Amino acid sequence: MALNEPLDSEELPCGRSLQDVWESWDEGTTGKDPHYASCPHCSAALAELRALGDFVEQSRAAAPEPPGAPDARAVTTRVMDIVRLELRPGRRLPLGEPDEDAWIVEAAAAKTFRAAAESLPGVRAGSCRIEPLGAGSGTSRGPVRVRLAVTAELTWTVPRLADAVRERVARAAREAIGLDVQAIDIEVVDLVDTMDTTDTTDRRTR
Amino acid sequence: MADEAEPAADDALLAARAGEGDEDAFETLVRRHGPVLLRLASHLLGGGTDAEDAVQEAFVQAWRRLPEFRGDATFRTWMYRIVTNRCLNQLRARRPTAPLDAVAEPAAPEHQVSPARTAENTAAVVALHAALAGLSPEQRACWVLREFHGLSYEDIAHTVGISHQAVRGRIFRARRYLTEAMEAWR
Repeated sequence: MALNEPLDSEELPCGRSLQDVWESWDEGTTGKDPHYASCPHCSAALAELRALGDFVEQSRAAAPEPPGAPDARAVTTRVMDIVRLELRPGRRLPLGEPDEDAWIVEAAAAKTFRAAAESLPGVRAGSCRIEPLGAGSGTSRGPVRVRLAVTAELTWTVPRLADAVRERVARAAREAIGLDVQAIDIEVVDLVDTMDTTDTTDRRTR
Repeated sequence: MADEAEPAADDALLAARAGEGDEDAFETLVRRHGPVLLRLASHLLGGGTDAEDAVQEAFVQAWRRLPEFRGDATFRTWMYRIVTNRCLNQLRARRPTAPLDAVAEPAAPEHQVSPARTAENTAAVVALHAALAGLSPEQRACWVLREFHGLSYEDIAHTVGISHQAVRGRIFRARRYLTEAMEAWR
């Protein structure tokens, strides 16, 4: 139907449009206008809408899932099966000595650095990018720069947090991966009262 | 409103990680938002495998597009939009848009509700779900987002991709139709 078609807003016998009456219900303003309580037409219109709302409530109460509700767990499994066929490993980063031919993909290194940051209490890691230090060096061998975004609880101060995360990342680069990291930029995205730690799978803190 | 509280800040963090290829972060998002998106798709498509397929495809599309996701909207809002678009396309392909005042078509078999599955449902609730099939796709989307998911008119406009004014019209017509369809149950 055409967008510019006039709304058949349907005037009630009292002169109010049905659409206006119903929208004032949405806005919760029906109580502020004495007309609604005294007008039988408006009262009837609001009662109709209220009854419809009751059916919606009944529907929610009777079955939080609609009839024939699908299985969320099965969908998650199927989605992740497809996702694992379409991984995005990112760029290759050089490992070891300049004359070696050993590499690690960015996503794998990032996973290690995020886990290293999250080994600190009350710290969550977000974006982690790793790139060769030399501009435009492509996939050539050489040192890399790590940029890591973190969120932490207010028990941390920004300088202390940045230092601690930098230290963990440097150690992970050295001991866990063997990557030549020469620069580590820590971006503190947020400090929060308490960290929401529900349902993350790969946390090692606490 | 009806949905569980949205841990938006943690979502943003996980979406950034997923965009960089962290599939574990993405799985957390899928588990967190899958149930509510399935409810949305079921209300829009009438449940069953169509709803599952729509949500599954929406998540796969999200995985592919996450590297470009800039976080202008929350992850939840972004997913609402992708799922709604998929459902609308499917509804539009299913049958031509029925004019509102047309007699409601008998529900297609996939809309029909088996008595055993809904033994706990009242007959009125079954009638309400059947009546949804008589709405045009956009009316249905706007009304479901409003009444079942508690979105504001503004958020519905963003999700469905139509103007605020158009949302008002769709919701009004949906209410006109549904109050009439449900008159016998009052």
